[in-house]
Amino acid sequence: MESTPPRRFVRFAPSKFDKERLVDIRVTDMTAADAGWWDVRLAPKLARIDGRADRHWSWSVLLPVCHLVQRAKRRFCRPLVIWARADDRRYLRVGMSILIENYPYLDAQRPGGSHFAWFLCAADAHVLREDFAMSHPPALGRVLLDDAIVLSQNAGCGGRVGLHAARAGRDALLSVYRRCGLLALPKTAELPRGVSRPNDGRFFYADERVAETLAAALDASR
Amino acid sequence: MLLDAEAPATLGAVVEAVTRLSTLSEARILELVSAGKIGELFPFKPAAGQPVTQDTVAEEDLLEACATPLTPVQREALVNASLPSASTRRRRSSAKK
Repeated sequence: MESTPPRRFVRFAPSKFDKERLVDIRVTDMTAADAGWWDVRLAPKLARIDGRADRHWSWSVLLPVCHLVQRAKRRFCRPLVIWARADDRRYLRVGMSILIENYPYLDAQRPGGSHFAWFLCAADAHVLREDFAMSHPPALGRVLLDDAIVLSQNAGCGGRVGLHAARAGRDALLSVYRRCGLLALPKTAELPRGVSRPNDGRFFYADERVAETLAAALDASR
Repeated sequence: MLLDAEAPATLGAVVEAVTRLSTLSEARILELVSAGKIGELFPFKPAAGQPVTQDTVAEEDLLEACATPLTPVQREALVNASLPSASTRRRRSSAKK
């Protein structure tokens, strides 16, 4: 019996300004050079946009800290960078994420492993267009989640993922994750062992069924 | 930020800060970072004057990440590449599309 090859990351995403148009994207592992570039070249512009959850994020600090903290918890971080093709046909960093492998699944009624999307951010489309010569920045919400789902599936976690929507992202961030198709963990739900924070109603997750539905919808773009 | 094994005082402070952060949940750390308070728990800043890479790269210079779990060796390389001292290395070679 033939085994199914692992899913790949998506390589195309619709343009933010023209949904009919597909933009080439690529995913790489994040290094200090990526974090440093983002902090110097992009973060100051994003910090001026009110309501962004990542206004104070310093990736140069976050990247090693997240690795070290998860190592202390005997887990592993998988930080990724999403690049998109700019007008000159070269690739520019447009999205960043730090995922945690083998994190407790947020649905405490069904204990198991999952991937936790700890830090996710996409560059502002208008900043990319006006300051970085990218006429068609990609829509990255689904792509950022898909990276976590695909890694979870390929790691044997069934695509199960979880995340916490930062309060700094206000209600708008909750709407983004709902629109992406994630399940909202009820505020009354108990969190699994190993997730110590009280449930503030801002946790989202995908079970196996939701994950497969979301991933399958992007299979043509891999 | 200099995570230098030759600088025990710095290394000790890093270990202490990481130990403290490890007692917090990921959601709590996310909130602290988003509120601009990570400096209170991890009081280090990247060293000034680090070279910044160019804005764009050619497709052939991108090494795409693999979507499968990394080996222990690849993981180690990825952690090492997260430190500023590794910033001048070539993009890591643990991944293959």
